[in-house]
Amino acid sequence: MDRKIGSALVAGAGISGIRASIDLAQMGYRVTLIDRAPHMGGILSQLDYQFPTDRCGMCRMLPMLDRDAGIQTCLRKGLFHENIDVLLGTTLAAVEGEPGRFEVALNQAPSPIDPDRCIGCGQCSDACPVSVPDAFNAGLTPRKAVYLPVPHNIPNTYTIDPAACTRCGACEPVCPTSAIRLSAMGRQAFRILVVDDESIIRQSLDAWLGDEEGYTVETAASGPEALEKLAATPFHLMLLDIKMPGMDGVTVLEKARIIRPSLNVLMMTAYATVETAVDAMKIGAMDYLIKPFEPESLIPKVAAAYEALQKTAYRRQTVGAIVLATGTTCFDPSVGKNPMGYGIVPHVVTSLAFERMLSGTGPDGGRLLRPSDKRPVKKAAWIQCVGSRDLQTGADFCSTACCMFALKEAAVARRVAGDDFQATIIYMDLRTFGKNFERYGQQTTSTEGIRLERGRVHSIVPTPGSGDVTIRWTSASGKIREECFDLVVLSIGQRANPHTTALAEGLGIDTDGFGFVKTAPFSDTRTLRGGIFAGGTLTGPTDIAESVIRASSAAVNASRTIHRAGGGLAEKADDLVSCRDVACEPPRILAVLCRCENNPEYEKALDVLSARLQQDPAVARVKILDRICTAQGWDSLKETVSATVNRVLVGACRTFIYGKKTRGLAAAFGLDPVLMEAVAMDHHQGLAAPATVAAIMAGLSRLKNVSMEKDQGIAVVNRALVVGGGIAGMSAALAIADHGVDVTLVEASDRLGGNLAWLHQTIDGTPIAPFLEDIIGQIEKHPKIEVMINSRVVGAFGQAGHFFSTIETAGEPTTTAEHGAVILATGGGEAPTDEYGYGTSEAVVTQKELETRIHEGRLDTDGITAVAMIQCVGSREEPRNYCSRVCCPTALKQALWLKSRKPDLQVYILYRDMMTCGLSEAWYTEARRQGILFFQYRPDRKPEVRITADEAAPVSVRLHDPILDAPVEIAADLLVLATGIQPRLPETLALAYGAERDRDGFFLEADSKWRPVEALKAGVFGCGIVLSPRSIAEAVATAEAAAGRALAILTADRLPAARTTAIVRHSLCTLCLRCIETCPYDARFLDDTGQRVLVNPAMCQGCGDCATVCPNSAAIVEGFTHRSMFGAIEGAMAV
Amino acid sequence: MHPHLISGSPTTHDDSDAMAPIGNLVNACIQCGTCTASCPNALEMDLTPRKMWRLVILGRLSDVMASRTFILCSDCYTCTLRCPRGLPLTRAMEALKGIAFARRETQHRRSRLFYETFMQTVRRYGRIREMAFMTRYFTAMKNPAEPFRFAPLGLKLMGKGKVEMGGGKSTEIPLAALFEKVAALERTPDKPLGKGG
Repeated sequence: MDRKIGSALVAGAGISGIRASIDLAQMGYRVTLIDRAPHMGGILSQLDYQFPTDRCGMCRMLPMLDRDAGIQTCLRKGLFHENIDVLLGTTLAAVEGEPGRFEVALNQAPSPIDPDRCIGCGQCSDACPVSVPDAFNAGLTPRKAVYLPVPHNIPNTYTIDPAACTRCGACEPVCPTSAIRLSAMGRQAFRILVVDDESIIRQSLDAWLGDEEGYTVETAASGPEALEKLAATPFHLMLLDIKMPGMDGVTVLEKARIIRPSLNVLMMTAYATVETAVDAMKIGAMDYLIKPFEPESLIPKVAAAYEALQKTAYRRQTVGAIVLATGTTCFDPSVGKNPMGYGIVPHVVTSLAFERMLSGTGPDGGRLLRPSDKRPVKKAAWIQCVGSRDLQTGADFCSTACCMFALKEAAVARRVAGDDFQATIIYMDLRTFGKNFERYGQQTTSTEGIRLERGRVHSIVPTPGSGDVTIRWTSASGKIREECFDLVVLSIGQRANPHTTALAEGLGIDTDGFGFVKTAPFSDTRTLRGGIFAGGTLTGPTDIAESVIRASSAAVNASRTIHRAGGGLAEKADDLVSCRDVACEPPRILAVLCRCENNPEYEKALDVLSARLQQDPAVARVKILDRICTAQGWDSLKETVSATVNRVLVGACRTFIYGKKTRGLAAAFGLDPVLMEAVAMDHHQGLAAPATVAAIMAGLSRLKNVSMEKDQGIAVVNRALVVGGGIAGMSAALAIADHGVDVTLVEASDRLGGNLAWLHQTIDGTPIAPFLEDIIGQIEKHPKIEVMINSRVVGAFGQAGHFFSTIETAGEPTTTAEHGAVILATGGGEAPTDEYGYGTSEAVVTQKELETRIHEGRLDTDGITAVAMIQCVGSREEPRNYCSRVCCPTALKQALWLKSRKPDLQVYILYRDMMTCGLSEAWYTEARRQGILFFQYRPDRKPEVRITADEAAPVSVRLHDPILDAPVEIAADLLVLATGIQPRLPETLALAYGAERDRDGFFLEADSKWRPVEALKAGVFGCGIVLSPRSIAEAVATAEAAAGRALAILTADRLPAARTTAIVRHSLCTLCLRCIETCPYDARFLDDTGQRVLVNPAMCQGCGDCATVCPNSAAIVEGFTHRSMFGAIEGAMAV
Repeated sequence: MHPHLISGSPTTHDDSDAMAPIGNLVNACIQCGTCTASCPNALEMDLTPRKMWRLVILGRLSDVMASRTFILCSDCYTCTLRCPRGLPLTRAMEALKGIAFARRETQHRRSRLFYETFMQTVRRYGRIREMAFMTRYFTAMKNPAEPFRFAPLGLKLMGKGKVEMGGGKSTEIPLAALFEKVAALERTPDKPLGKGG
């Protein structure tokens, strides 16, 4: 294994960007994470609840290994990791170079509010006279032009909306920390000097450029006056008249260039002196204008100079690879024909607005009230597919997330509004296609009060006199239904981000007709330009779990690029400063208090606090410093460094607590960061408030009792074991081996390939065999991959960093492999069936059998005239109560293949809900267009199949057509059954690694949304269809995601233990083993002798469950000893 | 009810080739029912528009022809505007009327004659002349009871001065060229069905 260091850029700080950044940071790269918005979190900053838990849980994405590299805090509040630099309000302006070495230019919007100074007090917002709708609350509440982008950010820095701000300046003087400088904002920062002897020209230019265009304009009536002004203050542009009495323009230009060599000068000339102007350009003027001129000819030239200046301010950086995760936007239902009356009919809201109405930070504090009359909502309807599956709005795709979104909102609304809340979801197909979605859907809708109606709403009108909304639709039976609701929620779809096209053009990557980024075949994340990868919804609409998977996949591909290029962008790790060993010294604490207000009251409080601190004998010194958040303050803090103290307590604003400052301070003092304690002195409460004093005294006590023992962590075996040689296993093995890590790939059958061996082509017609051959070739050639066919894992034990697996190979001696992580990719196969006459006739086949016949050229299309296909055979009902996701696209694929071979052949598809999610919806449309007939059936009225003696039509299918409300009989030559996928994960194998299976036998992930490819037990991963049914590209994405997560372990020499982990006092331990049973992370185990309980410090998350169950206090959590905890309580209580 | 029998290729039986071009217009229908819910005349129709499109897709010409649904379409275009698939439903409705009239379906005789005499009047005078139109229509219907059916409506319209009682300005058949052109277009094969209905 050779570890390489490099850096990567992640564009977009939504959920995918965060996931990709954490992955890359954990692999050891320096990450720059940028976002156009002034806050992190993307769309998820607005969503409080996610199914299936109906809670958040985003924090589960935080690193579980090497936890101390970041700050463990709510991810919706912020992301703090020592390897991640977050730049908000920043866009990717340009990329040059090649994979492994890209020069990127980042355009950082100048912030008129200094984030280091803003304390989030909100006085500016109170003073601001402007009020605009708050996008965070989907426009349901107003906000000021200076505002908090989201209410929960840390640090909670205010920002100015340049579009809404009138530059009135009311906020500037009220800021207690002088953090606001409006003049730094946009065009106002661009200073123009107008030099002309005619006052009318000076005045009109001042009006055009200053009042109209927003630049800062100053004027000078003569050459000497201009030079005086230039010498005094810098300008960006000078508009200079040539013919002036006294000193002429050309002389002024010559002299000006001496004072300000980089000044842009635009000459203004009469027609007669054009030649002089041309001469002026030779000595450095950028351009000239012939008088008289109109604003239209002047303004573009000034704008060009302004933009050129903006570009020079671009932050330039070299990165090895780029991950794009700029996501999608929500469809705006008010555009176009607006058949849903959004913005016209009252009480029609979007699903995003509804989410905000449910939120505690929403317009009504989490009570579900109607926006305008504030009446409680008791009866609401959700209308699905608004802006999705709608060719009239240019969306021949399914937005994938909205069905589950609506179910979740209905479930949460019932929780919020009470059991008398009635929800109706009006849908076209209920797409519960993901893992556990089907059961969630069934559970949710079986709840009294949540009703599903198949249909599409036509009209929405206000109910006269009540403010309610009446909607009309055709029910499944053809009846026209009219019903009145308190509120109508539009389940708005996803749309490609409008900025994606420009971004893609700039980067030289392609987008499809909908604006999504195109990817290479069999990949959801590789764009068509090497070294640039796409995560999340950028390559097509999807849900959270798949976004996260794509992000991880993009991250590992970025890492491969950097690695392949030799990782030559090494930034020296800055944490190798040696720390003084102060373990044996008595505590000598330096207490630093920050002063950022100048009033007697504050001064007095500081004195009182400092006196209190000094009473403690452990406190060596107390220093009061001014504004340590500023550069000056930081320098004065560094001046306090001395060897006479061995611990530092800092009381400062909240902004200081997070980020990397405490680490920097520790390095300056040459002390371990654990000996630094930063406490927030809360401005909202005031310095003298008991809570503030208590927090500081508790901090002091913690510092006195801090434990300095640190575990060395766990040595890592730099080898991965991948079980299963299908497409997922092979992709994972390649991704890991490409990083120089050894891989053992174990395959039970006699050859690699898994299900790809019988698949013919993808839905878009790409043949699969060449792709498979290529992958197998890469595996076989790879020096780091050892393939073991005819082999299986028969036993295993061990923990993250070091597992032992026993592998049995047919006809060979059993071997043992030692490895640091394991990836289970044992896949699955087509589920068996005996329904619909399967097995009684050759005319009844499964999808796999048809595919095999097509692949092997054994299907005689000449002999058949009609093919019927039945979907959901044995699926989406107990015992296999899940959607297999691939069968609907497979049916379309096979139907279209048949149609392409024999256009007059008739294909009938009998379905329950067509699960053509995302971009595969377009194939559904295409199939319909080509005349393939679709019949919907309900599970309580399944089709009946009769095998006839008639050779011309051996299968007869009878069903009830709900549209005609009549029985239909289909005579077909061939019946194809979509039986779905069942997993192949032996329970013994899962248990051997401490992983679990879900009730359907799939690999049970740690968290279905946030950690979708790993088991709760560290070091154990799953990928491919052992996780859940999925397509080839999706399986590859999970494989790469699992590889990336495994590489976080495999590329380290030792797994660093976190500071806060559990330890065992063996002398007190009675071996009752309650701690082992209770540990949720499997971090505790008995040693070889069975006499001692040990803790794997890398796996322990410091939750403290063991400490609470231990009857003897033998299990304790480092840093939370009784002494330290009681000390902190005592310190706080003594106030 | 007797089940609909669907053989291998529904377009080969029931002489429904005539309907194939219409089938192509509406094949991509997903039977969501937006057309039915949006249709102002749906309550008067024997088949809902959704059901009728389903029959069109299934190639069941005789069932479609037996229905009054497409005759009742008043070309308001609401369904075309709202259809999520963007299908040209009003155009397809018109095309169905065309087929029914060309086949001289007896159940649609009254409608056919109404349309035809209407157009004859327009062709003759360059505009609609209510008295002339109704006279032609009653003559074509060859049913002495027919005028009585229209009497209440006719009297009401007369009372409001909505019916031109003969005379008026005579035109020099200004629309002849237009009619010729349309007829020529309709004779040309491979032309898509008249754009926009």
